[in-house]
Amino acid sequence: MNQLIIDGVTKQFGALKVLQSCDLTVERGSVVTLLGPSGCGKTTLLRSIAGFVTPDAGRIRVKGQDISRLPPNRRDVGYVFQNYALFPHLTCRDNIAYGLVVRRVPKAEIARRVSQALDLIALAAFADRYPKQLSGGQQQRVAIARALVLEPQVLLLDEPFNALDAQLRLSMQVELRKLIDRVGITSIFVTHDQQEAMALSDRVAIMRGGRIEQIGSPLEIYDRPRSCFVADFIGRANLMPTQVRAGRTEGPQAIAAALPDGPATLVARPENIDLTPGSGPGWPGKVTFLTALGPVIEYEVDCGFSVPVRAALPRHAGVETFEPGALVTARIRDEAAAVVLPGEPNHA
Amino acid sequence: MLSRHSPEASAPLSPRGLSVARFLDGGGIWPAVPALVYLLVFMVAPIATLLTFGFVDIDRGTVGEGGFTLSHMVGVLSDPLVWRLTWRSFWIAVVSTSLTLIFAYPVAYAYGHLRGAARTLLLVAVMSPLLTSALVRTYAWIVILGGRRGLVNQTLLTLGLIERPLDILNTSTAVLIGMTQIHLPFMILPLLAVLSERDRSFEQASLNLGASQTVTFFRVTVPMSMPAIVAGFALVFAVSYTNFIVPQLLGGGNYSTIAVQVYEQTIVVLDWSRGAALATLLLSSCFVFVFAIVAAGNWLTRWSEVRR
Ligand SMILES: Nc1ncnc2c1ncn2[C@@H]1O[C@H](COP(=O)(O)OP(=O)(O)OP(=O)(O)O)[C@@H](O)[C@H]1O
Ligand SMILES: [Mg+2]
Repeated sequence: MNQLIIDGVTKQFGALKVLQSCDLTVERGSVVTLLGPSGCGKTTLLRSIAGFVTPDAGRIRVKGQDISRLPPNRRDVGYVFQNYALFPHLTCRDNIAYGLVVRRVPKAEIARRVSQALDLIALAAFADRYPKQLSGGQQQRVAIARALVLEPQVLLLDEPFNALDAQLRLSMQVELRKLIDRVGITSIFVTHDQQEAMALSDRVAIMRGGRIEQIGSPLEIYDRPRSCFVADFIGRANLMPTQVRAGRTEGPQAIAAALPDGPATLVARPENIDLTPGSGPGWPGKVTFLTALGPVIEYEVDCGFSVPVRAALPRHAGVETFEPGALVTARIRDEAAAVVLPGEPNHA
Repeated sequence: MLSRHSPEASAPLSPRGLSVARFLDGGGIWPAVPALVYLLVFMVAPIATLLTFGFVDIDRGTVGEGGFTLSHMVGVLSDPLVWRLTWRSFWIAVVSTSLTLIFAYPVAYAYGHLRGAARTLLLVAVMSPLLTSALVRTYAWIVILGGRRGLVNQTLLTLGLIERPLDILNTSTAVLIGMTQIHLPFMILPLLAVLSERDRSFEQASLNLGASQTVTFFRVTVPMSMPAIVAGFALVFAVSYTNFIVPQLLGGGNYSTIAVQVYEQTIVVLDWSRGAALATLLLSSCFVFVFAIVAAGNWLTRWSEVRR
């Protein structure tokens, strides 16, 4: 069942079209990430759902009910702010209780639900501290508990890990996903960190310039990007210019493509590129740069395209290594995993 | 300048060099020294001198033979009238300060929601009373409130809302009206600084959690601005409590407060010793009240002081 349906939401600030007819459907209990470069409208879309921004057109429905015209305080949509926005004058306990208090829930029930929420985020011992007395990660958990205690229809989180250092980020990502699974709440995350998006979500929506460019599971998007932008934005990709003739690409490797004849782009992930010394079937080139990443070594190979081809070779015994200047041949290992897109390469 | 920070060079500094260096560094209380010296010479010393007058006999402008005496102080403290006037000063200051807060808060709040020219205009409107002296503004209130031909009475009479002119002037109401208006900028300015810079995400969070705009205002906006409220309240209380011009002019000759008493004893009666003794009472009680306000404020805003 669909919990949230966003239908043609459009928003303009002055002459700037920030959202251009966004459509998004979120299934009940699933976690969707809005991913895109800075300024593409992620926050604006999230704020439209929460009611802080009034869209110029389009509708937002939660469980079938149109909430587009409701004021923010009557939407039943939880929002976790980027800076958490915990009330500094209230203790953790009172912050979490706030929504219940303003709804005039009976005192005994408030106490019960707040202590439940505190247990959920494992912060019962910190209940009577003020937000200032908590670490960033603890503040984030309180902010999430404050939203969850109201059992909203949808939980919205705007870059919830931004304020945390890299170490804490990783552990909080895992913890948050576990928490969300435990309560089974429909959630939308905003991030511009693609690894975070892949790690956290059931589905990823790639946004660009106010539009949603592609929606799918993280692997679907990684394996089958529908545009050069998506391919380039999620993970790293080689975008190689080619021509399609009679359903196959021209060049050293003919790859099946269900496209009309004309210019096209061959998309291959670095780990799908193999290098062999000397010449052979494939794209001849010269190693220009290498980065030892640990599990793999990444080579940049000049094959005569406008940008170098990247190849990531594992460091097993028996896998050859190359020095800069070495003449090599690049080829696609698994042709089925390569994607052919219409049009010339278009680097984001 | 650089050498100051290297350990080898800092050792042989002369004490003078050290203090100059510290002064330039801006460490500790050094930057406050000029202001402190100024205050000591031009405020603390004169006030101290003035207050000592309360503990000696003064005859025609010169200190009498007797030396130190508590008789003036005892006279003041055992006078029930003095206590009644102190009590009145206190209440008029509390009520007037509360009124300034009630009037100032919406102005400061509105300022945060205005943009461009409207915002500038409001700021100018708030500041402009400060361009004229309090005395002039007090006289203006006499014109507005006073007699049959005063602005208020004339308007109400013309509109037929009242039969006979209201007797506002020379009452405590007039004192309250005047004092509240005159001290309004001192309340608006600290509130405005805090409210206009506030982070709106707290209010949005409150709305998101289901609170109405009104509930959000009273549960989030007001408590979060409490430090500014306390600062404004203490400031306006102090100037209201010690103001003698407004009660004297708008209260008429028969409306006295402890501050008015200080003025009358010193300037009219020329009993400097009693005036100084009253001033001692005024000043010390003012300190006590302001201290109490700040202490209450600290308790109310204890969340803003917490540290990890
Ligand atoms: N209230 C506003 N008035 C005018 N322009 C706005 C307003 N809010 C957002 N914008 C503009 O809309 C665009 C999208 O903003 P938005 O905050 O949604 O981006 P974002 O995708 O969240 O970016 P980031 O990843 O940097 O947070 C930006 O160009 C921004 O300048
Ligand atoms: Mg954003």
